[in-house]
Amino acid sequence: MISTELVDISRLQFAVTALYHFLFVPLTIGLAVMLVAMELTYVTTGRPIYKDMVKFWGKLFSINFALGVTTGITMEFQFGTNWAYYSHYVGDIFGAPLAIEGLMAFFLESTFIGLFFFGWDKLSRWKHFMVTVFMALGSNLSALWILIANGWMQNPIGTEFSFITMRMEMTDFWSIVFNPVAQAKFVHTVSAGYVTAALFVLGISSYYLLKGRDLDFARRSFRIAAGFGFASALSVIVLGDESGYSVGEAQHTKLAAMEAMWHTEPAPAPFVVFALPNEKTQTNDYELKIPYVLGLIGTRSVSQTIPGIAEIKEKNRARIVNGVIAVKALEQLRKDKTNTAALATFNAHKDDLGFGLLLKKYTEDVAAATPEMIQQAVDSTIPKIAPMFWSFRIMVALGFLFLALFSFALLYSIKGNFIEKRWLLRWALWFIPMPWVAAELGWIVAEYGRQPWTIYGVLPTHLSVSSLTPGNVYASLAGFVAFYTALLIVEMYLMVKYARIGPSSLGTGKYHGEDQLGGGAIPAGAPADKI
Amino acid sequence: MWYFAWILGVSMAVLLASMAATMCDAKDCALDAAERGNPKI
Amino acid sequence: MDYESLKLIWWLLVGVLLIGFAIMDGHDMGVGTLLPFIGKNDLERRAVINTVAPHWEGNQVWFVTAGGAIFAAWPLIYATAFSGFYWAMMAALWALFFRPVGFTYRSKIKNPTWRSTWDWGLFIGGAVPPIIFGVAFGNLLLGVPFQFDDTLRSTYTGTFWQLLNPFGLLAGVVSLSMVTFQGANYLMLRTEGDIYRRVRTASLIFGLATLVTFALAGLWIMKGIDGFAITSHINPNALPDPLDKTVVKETGAWMKNYTTYAWAMWVPITTFIAIALGIMFARLHKAWMAFIASSVTCAGIIGTAGVSMFPFLMPSSSDPRSSLTVWDSVSSELTLGLMLGATVVFMPLIIFYTSWAYKVMWGKVTTDFIKANDHSVY
Ligand code: HDD
Ligand code: HEM
Ligand code: HEM
Repeated sequence: MISTELVDISRLQFAVTALYHFLFVPLTIGLAVMLVAMELTYVTTGRPIYKDMVKFWGKLFSINFALGVTTGITMEFQFGTNWAYYSHYVGDIFGAPLAIEGLMAFFLESTFIGLFFFGWDKLSRWKHFMVTVFMALGSNLSALWILIANGWMQNPIGTEFSFITMRMEMTDFWSIVFNPVAQAKFVHTVSAGYVTAALFVLGISSYYLLKGRDLDFARRSFRIAAGFGFASALSVIVLGDESGYSVGEAQHTKLAAMEAMWHTEPAPAPFVVFALPNEKTQTNDYELKIPYVLGLIGTRSVSQTIPGIAEIKEKNRARIVNGVIAVKALEQLRKDKTNTAALATFNAHKDDLGFGLLLKKYTEDVAAATPEMIQQAVDSTIPKIAPMFWSFRIMVALGFLFLALFSFALLYSIKGNFIEKRWLLRWALWFIPMPWVAAELGWIVAEYGRQPWTIYGVLPTHLSVSSLTPGNVYASLAGFVAFYTALLIVEMYLMVKYARIGPSSLGTGKYHGEDQLGGGAIPAGAPADKI
Repeated sequence: MWYFAWILGVSMAVLLASMAATMCDAKDCALDAAERGNPKI
Repeated sequence: MDYESLKLIWWLLVGVLLIGFAIMDGHDMGVGTLLPFIGKNDLERRAVINTVAPHWEGNQVWFVTAGGAIFAAWPLIYATAFSGFYWAMMAALWALFFRPVGFTYRSKIKNPTWRSTWDWGLFIGGAVPPIIFGVAFGNLLLGVPFQFDDTLRSTYTGTFWQLLNPFGLLAGVVSLSMVTFQGANYLMLRTEGDIYRRVRTASLIFGLATLVTFALAGLWIMKGIDGFAITSHINPNALPDPLDKTVVKETGAWMKNYTTYAWAMWVPITTFIAIALGIMFARLHKAWMAFIASSVTCAGIIGTAGVSMFPFLMPSSSDPRSSLTVWDSVSSELTLGLMLGATVVFMPLIIFYTSWAYKVMWGKVTTDFIKANDHSVY
């Protein structure tokens, strides 16, 4: 039997490293595109200030990018090191997008990023602009392929189980690429990245405006961020709604959990604004509902019902019972591949194989599972409600706040008087961390909400782990935490330092702090750490 | 086709952003800069 | 195309990716390894770092993609090797952490302690991964203690310390010498003056080290190591099932391919010639020729290991039947075909724009250049 402790600690390590990777990803994706916007303005207007802008925000980009790469390699290793059975069981499908991501996206991004930083004097204006475009394209395409892989985990289509190779095998590549869940995920996630970058630029520019320095630089950056951010904030909401709506059973279970919908409500279902979900009584305390709204969002109709938790559980119970037959037939087939009777039984029940495997958490021999074990397995198919309910609500609330912030920013940009709106500048500055909060919560909804599965309905998380001892994973987790904490401190230190120094870090002699010191190179008396 | 929507969307967002900045050159920023006797930056 | 050919093509392609990794990422890892020794002051070290500054990131993707390709083409190898070599993988991973941050952050602060700390970080990130990968290769040749159960779940029964056996360590030294030789030759192309003189000496030393250790490892394989051989009939077109064969361990089995296919001898022979030529060209100040020779060396050394073991990829010493081979560790025919298509489309593109990037940035990196571009270079 696989120890539950091993599974839990492996999950914790994955969650820690993945959430950490995603601290750097959104800014890379978004800022790369904003650099394109800035450089486009440079090549069309020819004003050097836009070039300085690309270079300065590019510096901050590079500080962030370094940790994106560092933590990304961890992710790539980790499927093999800690989720070996998963890697074997679905590698046929999951490995392909990961490899294509390398070939198509990482190479592009990483090759052109070198030219982006070091090629200014060696490339013509337009050529350099194209380099930036390719870099941005590369980083966005990497999001595409990893999210196709992740989307397939939520909605595993285009594949079939083979009892000879004992794994899932690909049958239809294009249906995996055009998986509706993957599409919705991709657009929502990259938009989240755009919002993150826009708010980052908006907030830091506001800081300069509040301090009354580098005004020419800051007000132009502010405007670019306001325009870009408004479009992105709008799209993150529209596409977030699409993420909730996208088809697939995993999404239904999540939807019920996010909405704390214990029972199927008559259509169109109400939207619960506030509640304290109660796992014991399987009801909500202190509920506050708006009628009809959830039905409209969730089904885009007034007559369809959305399944509630109790109903989903009953369906899953039937599938678990069915799955037991599939698991037994598979065991016979593994012993004797020519057993045609077992093959016929297996084929009749194989859609529920994954549900049968859920019982492996409680017993080696699933046919001997007691009714209590089956009940436990049924209960485990629904994630804990409260974390889902609240994570989702905070993310959505933040989404609307971002839209409000960027609407004001754009409005006053058009009017041209945002420098006077100090409340807006302060809001932007203090809101810089919020997109990260929203994005991390989004992942918690998406991943925690998929439990107890790694591949929904196919492979339980419990079976996905490598054969390691928990001690090994505790030790490696401690190593990751130590390294990551140290790296984060260094990164934040540099980021804050350079954001404070501002565009004068370019050493052009035009910006805050440089002119009164005589302009040009660093003066002799400047502090040693000022670069 | 959300992938397609993405391509269109990003291009439009980039253009919107760039336009917002050039508006600055045309209007308020240009006035300020002229005041300080440094019209072209 | 039939399944058998696809399996063979992917054996070649993974080889190509590993060789690409050794040549491309190898040279900047070699640069990292040499950095603290050949750069005597901050300016010199910055000159050395900036020879690879625009490229190391792209080079590292050879590594990332080789990993992804193994996942896609040989999922069982990816699962079994990465989880079995758990601590070796963690060590390589943690050493790799130092590279992106080392390169990017090092020159962002003008403090000597800060900078020299990151220089040693770059050294670790340059030297440790090649050693570990070499040790891992050495252990593949020896066989690894693991087995599969009925559901193809693998269990590794060895420990981390077992990997550090004499032959494994020797393979680690071969790998480190090879990569450092490659890095030194690259630096000969891109530096001048004092730095150039020092890296040329380094090239001679590490070329020689490669020659000696590679020869030693070869002798050891011939005389002292048990290889593996399949004893049952294999149908290369069958669906992959690693438990469906019998395997024995025997001395000299790793030499069999050289007697069955005489042309295979050319792989190690070419390798020896390439190392010797590399040393000679470095002596003659022919940096380009030396770099080409050491690149061929990288291909030859990896090729020799591959050819000796073929069709084995990861033999099992504790349960030989569980051994993984080219025929039974692969993914489905559809996935292999699809990935081949993706490689055929993207690989030429990658080579094209990578070469362009090198062309744009080509030229000697001098300390004067660093002084003049203090704010924009690493
Ligand atoms: C939505 C986007 C997204 C998501 C969900 C992930 N990544 Fe990531 N990854 C990126 C978006 C990205 C990026 C934007 O392309 C990064 C971040 C910063 C960077 O440098 O590139 C990156 C870097 C990056 C690298 C380094 C690439 C290089 O050397 O250039 C690797 C190996 C991975 N990632 C692998 C993974 C794996 C195995 C993931 C799954 C668990 C994963 N990433 C999730
Ligand atoms: C009104 C606004 C929003 C709605 C309706 C919404 C909706 C959703 C839904 C339903 C999911 C789960 C998808 C799944 O389970 O597979 C999700 C995930 C996610 N959300 Fe949001 N969201 C909103 C705002 C935001 C904001 C503002 C951000 C970040 C800036 C964000 C970042 C994410 C991320 C990174 C994920 C995980 C990736 C994914 O599964 O798509 N969301 N969102
Ligand atoms: C695309 C590849 C991905 C795979 C194969 C994957 C797989 C997994 C696995 C195996 C786990 C551990 C089991 C569990 O869910 O607890 C997990 C958990 C988690 N992953 Fe993912 N994931 C992927 C992408 C991501 C990314 C990129 C993020 C965000 C940064 C993410 C966020 C999480 C979170 C927050 C958890 C914790 C949930 C929990 O512990 O219950 N995942 N995922």
